[in-house]
Amino acid sequence: MPLTPDASHAPSPPQPPSTLDEESSPQTRVKEHIASALSTILTELSSPDGHPSLTIKLRSNKVSARFISPRTGALETQVSDTYTTYTWPGKDYYEAWKFTVAMRVLSGIADAVDKGVVVSKRDIYYQDPAIFGSQRVVDRLVDDFAHTIGVDRVALNVGAAAKGLVVGCFHWRIKDQAMADDAHFLNADTLIPSPQDIQEMNVSDVDWVLILEKEAVYRRLAGMKYHVRSTAGLGILVTGKGYPDLKTRAFIRRLYDASRQPNKRLRFYALVDGDPDGMAIMSTYKYGSLAYAHENSTLNCSDIRWLGLRTSDIVTGVDRSGNDALVSLTDRDRKKILAMLSNNPVWAVDGPEQEGRAELLQMLMLNVKAEMQILYDGDGGLVQWLDRRMTHIS
Amino acid sequence: MSRVSALAPAAGKLSAHMFCVRIVSPSKQYLSCGSADNAHPTDIYGLAVTDKQILSASGSSSLKVHSTVDPDFPLVQSIDEAHKLGCHHVVTNSKGSRAASIGFVGEIAIWSCHDDIWSKDSIAPVNQAGSVGIWAIALSEDGQYLAGVSQDGHVKVWDLNANGEQIRDYETKGSFGTCIDLSADGRFLASGHENGSVYIFSTETGRMPFSLSGLVKPVRTVAFSPGGKFLAAAGDSKVIVLYDTSSGEQVANLSGHAAWIMSLSWSNTGEYLLSGSFDGKVKVWSIDTRACVATHSETEKSIWSVRWLPKVGRSEGFATAGASRSIAFYREATGG
Repeated sequence: MPLTPDASHAPSPPQPPSTLDEESSPQTRVKEHIASALSTILTELSSPDGHPSLTIKLRSNKVSARFISPRTGALETQVSDTYTTYTWPGKDYYEAWKFTVAMRVLSGIADAVDKGVVVSKRDIYYQDPAIFGSQRVVDRLVDDFAHTIGVDRVALNVGAAAKGLVVGCFHWRIKDQAMADDAHFLNADTLIPSPQDIQEMNVSDVDWVLILEKEAVYRRLAGMKYHVRSTAGLGILVTGKGYPDLKTRAFIRRLYDASRQPNKRLRFYALVDGDPDGMAIMSTYKYGSLAYAHENSTLNCSDIRWLGLRTSDIVTGVDRSGNDALVSLTDRDRKKILAMLSNNPVWAVDGPEQEGRAELLQMLMLNVKAEMQILYDGDGGLVQWLDRRMTHIS
Repeated sequence: MSRVSALAPAAGKLSAHMFCVRIVSPSKQYLSCGSADNAHPTDIYGLAVTDKQILSASGSSSLKVHSTVDPDFPLVQSIDEAHKLGCHHVVTNSKGSRAASIGFVGEIAIWSCHDDIWSKDSIAPVNQAGSVGIWAIALSEDGQYLAGVSQDGHVKVWDLNANGEQIRDYETKGSFGTCIDLSADGRFLASGHENGSVYIFSTETGRMPFSLSGLVKPVRTVAFSPGGKFLAAAGDSKVIVLYDTSSGEQVANLSGHAAWIMSLSWSNTGEYLLSGSFDGKVKVWSIDTRACVATHSETEKSIWSVRWLPKVGRSEGFATAGASRSIAFYREATGG
């Protein structure tokens, strides 16, 4: 992967990219940096033998020392700044490409800052997937520019890509959209927006919310309009595509808060793989993550009921899908389970998820896990399984 | 013949054909005779029996010791903080002087018993076994040798009287080792694996005389008969296979379980084999007739471990435990 810029690595900075004083606001610094970088390039372009170039301060800091700071008593590291410069047309294809993609990313950022809108790294990538080649190229450059200018990524007006998807029988009003949006009844691809962009939410028609680990399962259910057709009533389908991002978690919490009305309560279900990651994902929605411990109390949804998948249901034939649906745990799975059991109070012997703890131990005992795909083949398939479970566990 | 007179009361109502079958394999009755309710706060994975006690291991950190001499099966000792994340195998020698247990992190603990009270031994090399990924363990009758099978299919033996020195290391094809047993005379070692393999090793020569065929699905339990003539193996294929240990031949298939078989135990005389399965069923098999003579299905919760108890008078009994978190005790119905 052509990500290491060693070919054009310059040991000393040809020009300090930013000499703005520390006092100016991040937004100002971003604008001034972009303006000066672009004007330098334009000047070079307009001269007959000019060499337009872009200089980036590398984030892969060379750690030259680890030490206990005598001043703070803390473990600190000493890093030396390194810069790299991409010139057009450069000495080879790689440098030319690198200059081009860096320009594309910078103009994407400039555009967002100019218009005052927040774009995602994904938006920038999709402006020209062919030239970027992969999302990671964009991600790294955005972070490189933020580092070079010395600001947080938010100051570049680049947010994390919306990841979660939702479809269901609810009404909401999104910031900058004139009408309450009913499109999600039809369109399964509604990305979950930032919590502050949801101005109104009405869930009065809804009986349940089903949180899905797998996007494939979400698409299957959304495609057959399970949120309308379920025997358990009208519902909302949500997926965070694996481990949920903060927006998806905030959205679930928003639903949870909106549903706490005196006369009616939404039922929340989670359908995850019968493996350690599935259990950890369920726990992230329900209790929060260790990484965002300080925000968990505003993001969790303590009412979530765990629908499955349980390895025991498959072993005992409750799901009649056959034991062939079980897969051996990998070494990583076993280590992950042990780490979950020892580090996370959710799975403690006196913790809130006794059934989950027993399930994790049972995976270790039997050395098996179960993935969602097996439900497709079971008796009556996924839909009947869900209808049964959601009516049964209520 | 007391066995014939112990026909199930229901047998009289069965059809002639069924009745014939019953004659061939007279059923036996085992009655519930007590239980240690909620002995553990989580599933019980392992039981070990001595002449007067039963030790149990679970997904919590304590090992529990109940008396089997007292008809109320009281708790006599709780060994707290034995294994931080819980314990899946506990084994003892038959006279009850030594025990070994292995926790989910792979750590092995050796215990010795004085005046019916267990305390931890510090036998050092075995304590490093965690790094080699041992899963199941077995202890020799005299308590001198500890055997273990690892997640990468190695079978190891330690001499506990020589400060836990490792004296054997057999290599197999690398499939996860799920279960292990030592013959009563200590001459043979058997291991069962996730890929269905069953191996018998000679502890004297260090050779592997037999790699046994017959099971293709994961093996969950292996057990030598008291005289060492047979090895019984079972698991996900729901069938118990009996092997002749002198020839390696498969001599019988005992079928009847409808779920994975998690645990096997031989009666003291070797006449009966006890089995427990994931659907909560417990069966007693006659080795003479190769037939199931009793089935218990009080619970639908998984059975993880079954063990015969020491004989009291003429009557034999057994204990079962699993996801019910309780230990259930049964005794053979005597007389009529």
